[in-house]
Amino acid sequence: MKYIAARRFPSTCLALLTLSLVCFSHQTAKAQEANIEFSLDVQPIFAKKCFSCHGPGESEGGLRLDSKEGAFAELDSGSRGVIPGKPAESELLRRITTDDESERMPPEGKPLSPAEIKVMRTWIKQGAQWQGHWAFEPMKDHEPPKVKQKDWVNTPIDSFILGQLESAGFKPNPQANRVTLIRRAYYNLTGLPPTAEQVKAFEQDKSPKAYENLIDQLLTSERYGERWARHWLDVVRFAETNSFERDGVKPNAWRYRDYVIDAFNKDKPYNQFIIEQMAGDELPDATNETIIATGFHRLGLWDDEPADRLLHLYNHYDDIVTTTGQSFLGLTINCARCHDHKIDPILQSDYYSFLAFFRGMKPYGIGRSNTSSSQYEISTPEVIAAYSAHDNRVQEQQKKIDEIFNQAIETLPKAERGEARVRGRKKIEKKMENYVPNRASEFSELQREMASIKEQVKYLGARQYALAVNLCDNPPPKTNIMQRGNPHVPGDEVEPRFPTMFGMPAPELPDRTGEKTSGRRTVLANWIASDDNFLTARVMVNRIWQHHFGRGIVRSTNNFGQLGTPPTHPQLLDWLALDFVQNGWSMKKLHKKIMMSSVYQLSSQASEKELAADPNNELFWRYNMRRLSAEEIRDSILAVNGRLNLKMYGPGIYTEISKEVKAGQSVPGKGWGNSKPEERARRSVYIHVKRSLIDPMLANFDFPDTDTSCPDRFTTLQPSQALGMLNGKFLNDQAKVLADRLREESGEKIEKQVADSIQVVFGRDATAEDIKTGLDLINTMQEKHNVDKNRALDLYCLMILNLNEFMFLD
Amino acid sequence: MANNNPVPQGSFCHRTRREFLWDAGGKFTGLALTAMMAQDGFMASQAVAADGVSEFKNPLAEKKPHFQPKAKNVIFLFMYGGPSHMDTFDYKPELYKLDGQTIQVKTKGRGGEKTQGRVVGPKWNFKQYGESGQWVSDLFPHLSTCVDDIAFLKSMTADSPIHGSAMLMMNSGRILSGSPSLGSWLNYGLGSVNENLPGYVVMPDPTGGPISGAKNWSAGFMPATYQGTMFRGEGAPIIDLSLPPGMTREMQRDLLDSLKDGNNRHLASHQGNSDLTSRIASYELAYRMQQHAPEAVDTSDETEETKALYGIDGSQTDEFGKRCLLARRLVERGVRFVQLYSGGNHNDNNWDAHGDLEKNHNYHAGRTDKPITGLIKDLKRRGMLDDTLIVWGGEFGRQPTAEYAKGTGRDHNSYGFTMWMAGGGIKGGQSVGTTDELGAAAVEKPMHVRQLHATILHQMGMDPNALSYFYGGLDHKLVGVEHVEPIKEII
Repeated sequence: MKYIAARRFPSTCLALLTLSLVCFSHQTAKAQEANIEFSLDVQPIFAKKCFSCHGPGESEGGLRLDSKEGAFAELDSGSRGVIPGKPAESELLRRITTDDESERMPPEGKPLSPAEIKVMRTWIKQGAQWQGHWAFEPMKDHEPPKVKQKDWVNTPIDSFILGQLESAGFKPNPQANRVTLIRRAYYNLTGLPPTAEQVKAFEQDKSPKAYENLIDQLLTSERYGERWARHWLDVVRFAETNSFERDGVKPNAWRYRDYVIDAFNKDKPYNQFIIEQMAGDELPDATNETIIATGFHRLGLWDDEPADRLLHLYNHYDDIVTTTGQSFLGLTINCARCHDHKIDPILQSDYYSFLAFFRGMKPYGIGRSNTSSSQYEISTPEVIAAYSAHDNRVQEQQKKIDEIFNQAIETLPKAERGEARVRGRKKIEKKMENYVPNRASEFSELQREMASIKEQVKYLGARQYALAVNLCDNPPPKTNIMQRGNPHVPGDEVEPRFPTMFGMPAPELPDRTGEKTSGRRTVLANWIASDDNFLTARVMVNRIWQHHFGRGIVRSTNNFGQLGTPPTHPQLLDWLALDFVQNGWSMKKLHKKIMMSSVYQLSSQASEKELAADPNNELFWRYNMRRLSAEEIRDSILAVNGRLNLKMYGPGIYTEISKEVKAGQSVPGKGWGNSKPEERARRSVYIHVKRSLIDPMLANFDFPDTDTSCPDRFTTLQPSQALGMLNGKFLNDQAKVLADRLREESGEKIEKQVADSIQVVFGRDATAEDIKTGLDLINTMQEKHNVDKNRALDLYCLMILNLNEFMFLD
Repeated sequence: MANNNPVPQGSFCHRTRREFLWDAGGKFTGLALTAMMAQDGFMASQAVAADGVSEFKNPLAEKKPHFQPKAKNVIFLFMYGGPSHMDTFDYKPELYKLDGQTIQVKTKGRGGEKTQGRVVGPKWNFKQYGESGQWVSDLFPHLSTCVDDIAFLKSMTADSPIHGSAMLMMNSGRILSGSPSLGSWLNYGLGSVNENLPGYVVMPDPTGGPISGAKNWSAGFMPATYQGTMFRGEGAPIIDLSLPPGMTREMQRDLLDSLKDGNNRHLASHQGNSDLTSRIASYELAYRMQQHAPEAVDTSDETEETKALYGIDGSQTDEFGKRCLLARRLVERGVRFVQLYSGGNHNDNNWDAHGDLEKNHNYHAGRTDKPITGLIKDLKRRGMLDDTLIVWGGEFGRQPTAEYAKGTGRDHNSYGFTMWMAGGGIKGGQSVGTTDELGAAAVEKPMHVRQLHATILHQMGMDPNALSYFYGGLDHKLVGVEHVEPIKEII
């Protein structure tokens, strides 16, 4: 290994990298001298610290650490980087531990941490076992481990969890109480709280199947689809406008949103869900539903006035390659747009071969306003036929009109005719008797008929369109590798091919000459959705786990590559993925399996020993408490005050946005409509998603950026949220509605109103302290601040909607 | 255009420590990590959580720069629409003589690419000012008295001559939306020294925001903590800052105390989750903001002389003058990045002079010349100019030729335009770079928007090539993946 100073590193990046991930993840509960697992312990260090000079395509000093051969090979210097069993003779260890700064690796930034060095030393000592990156290996059918505390095991999931807990000497938390369980199940499946009555009924249900029945019932609720669709919409960068200067509407984007809700509700198998979104228009049995699904390709940014059209076209492909790679495969194929991927074995040619599957699709729009490539007619056959007949009639009639008009034109001198045909037409038509006197009345009769034909369009029924892949080139244009990612510098031509790392033969492309599309996307979709694709099922079960437990088994849910975080429970992940596939890719079955486990039902309470040893809850010794999402907060407020309108589907709604917020738009208020109050009380998933104007309450509570895939939302806690929750019009209005409800349902007595408010808002009985706090506040407001009792109750309601108990889920 | 190349070779897809920890700990990061973060002051509240020990940490808590900064704050005077450089600061004597003649010149604007056009001679006279002899047109009689404090960048270039993408480029370094803006990067890198005020304030023009609205001050893929906060000069400066009707501050205090009681009871049964304490603390912070933010915008304690300096006198300069004065008051209170928009909405409501150049520029320069000069002079006499960096400019410049067959309107020009910087360690009294004799394109030392961004980050004590944020498998930087040097001549 030679010291290479010329390579430019962002200096702080390296400094930042000195913290050892392994210290806090996989190894947390591992005994220090336990077996090192290469793919979970060693490879992440290589990827993060060494690959820039000794990784894919880079072999400074003759060393490459992305392959066994490269790592064990003789170096330019004659020594060997890794000599299995002999740490003292391995050049790698010497170079990461030396005090000589001119020799120490990595060349810039702080040296490796003692823990990382220990991992390296132990690994070499134990024989330097080499495995491929865990996620790039086929899934393995692991036997659930044997555990001591057998009665805790409800499902095989628990064996995997408990196995790791026991080897760390941990005990899982006790089970959460019933109120907590029902709230957890409701929020995680439906995004809404249970009503006080539902909580009571569940508490009193002594049947051993009470909890299971609850889950079964929730999985049939249509609220489930509304909740889980939103998770998917985050991943596929869902928005209903194009961004940029006009931020124009994407007509019918809402149909895609409805498609996703419906898909979750009817438990559409995930493999089918993939195929429809990728290639629903190419299916032999394509339906409106599968066509709407291809809206997936149309959700991204679109600059209707790009400075560089070709670059914009390739940015559009990049949006699809990026989203497809990350959403379905957990792969950052996008990192290979300009050069081979620096960390994962993805070649630049892989990027363009992947892009080639999409090459036949026309861009979102052509020119500034023609978006026909993205609008697919889905009217009924009757409506389509009626319009077609109508169009024919109009054309026929026009021919007759034109014939007379042309005759009129011919009476003019030749030089004037061109102008007369276009700009002069209207004028001439009005004075036909001056040109063709004998046919003037016939002409005006034809015009009258034309008007009445056109009038009939009103009665044909509305035409319907889907935001979808509509126009395609078949065969698609050729695809080239763009040198340095620059579309103006095409290099070698490539054919559609799966990334080489999967070791698949070249795909067989169907012969679809003469058809609308080439069928390439179907080929890609079938491969992604195949049972033995070793990423697809893992990535999706991990997302579902993530939204139940607050984090994925792999935390970087969009990145299963070597810069992602290794799974905390790799065997469990594989087990879940295989089980998912075996169960026909049923998401509902997976939900149930997860929710029936003991680990799902744990209390979120802290326990001293475990908290000290594993504060991150790497091992799932407790349930992760979480702040509700933006939609959950807004929907819950409407649910507890009784205003929530459960109407489903249809075009997006417009919430009330203040003048002050709209002042930031170039034309304040443009593109934001005015929905009726009852429409505004619908679930948040139905709020129109305008890229440049996100509902401020949603934005405040970390609604994701709409322009790229969001695998995991931030959860911030900041004063602007508090300001909105205390002073904002929405909260104050809704608090008053809650107070109205209490006044109506709980009678005059303040004590009863307060007690009932706790029931309604938190689904539990009020304690004496709750009542006291409530009465004190109401009294203070009345006595000290001279407000009437109604207003005092309004303010009390505002207070309880601000409580942590309302905002956090146990 | 080759320089749009998104991720060229020679870069390395690292991740930052922030993202690294983020991944490692999700939103719940451990004790050891928290302690380490506290030491270097880098980490924000996101990573501080489930240990049950750590206190609320303001996500905008001050962080250490990479090196000793020259500037602490930035005021970005955004001349939205694109001022004409050859009519403001880029003196083109030849152009006057060519007025009305059709010449060969390569241009690209909203009207597309052209190879010839009718020259519109500059509509104002230029004179040299200051000891350094900088050229300034008659549009800026006031600013011309400050030129020895100003460094003019006369060979700026950008990737797009179209407003939508050009605005995004000037604000976020990319022509696509979805990336964090300059102010977000500064707050991410440095935090804010005043937790009672937002760290990133945007004051749009009264006629409306720029096109793409909030996308221009978006935090993109970073947490919303870093996004710009719209500030108003009149009434409650921040959205939801003022109490709802019928609420007094005393009532709110009692309500908050009651809330705290309930939250503390809840906390007692939920040990080990500092998100709960963080949220409790965020309410106290909000309560304090309601006191401090109005104070920041209450200019009643400013002298008449000061107000007059900014042109706050009921004339055409009044409105922008007020915003400039607020900008000073905000940076005085530690707001890291303040962006003022001169011009909003569309067409002649901003500097986008497609029709009558004279009318347009007289109007916008007339509204801003005195206030901007007042700002510089006021900062200087208070000793604040040394650590306040002022940036002036639009998203692009304008073409030497007319857009239409008649009239003086000029189309957009991203091949060459002028911006200027002052204060914050910038060496004033100089001009860097030139355009050709027509002002059509940069010729000598062309400077890309990325270099402007690099210079701003550098003056703020950050290495532009090191400040990065891991997202979507890539290490993103404001200046892109290729190494970018700050503009050495002016620092």
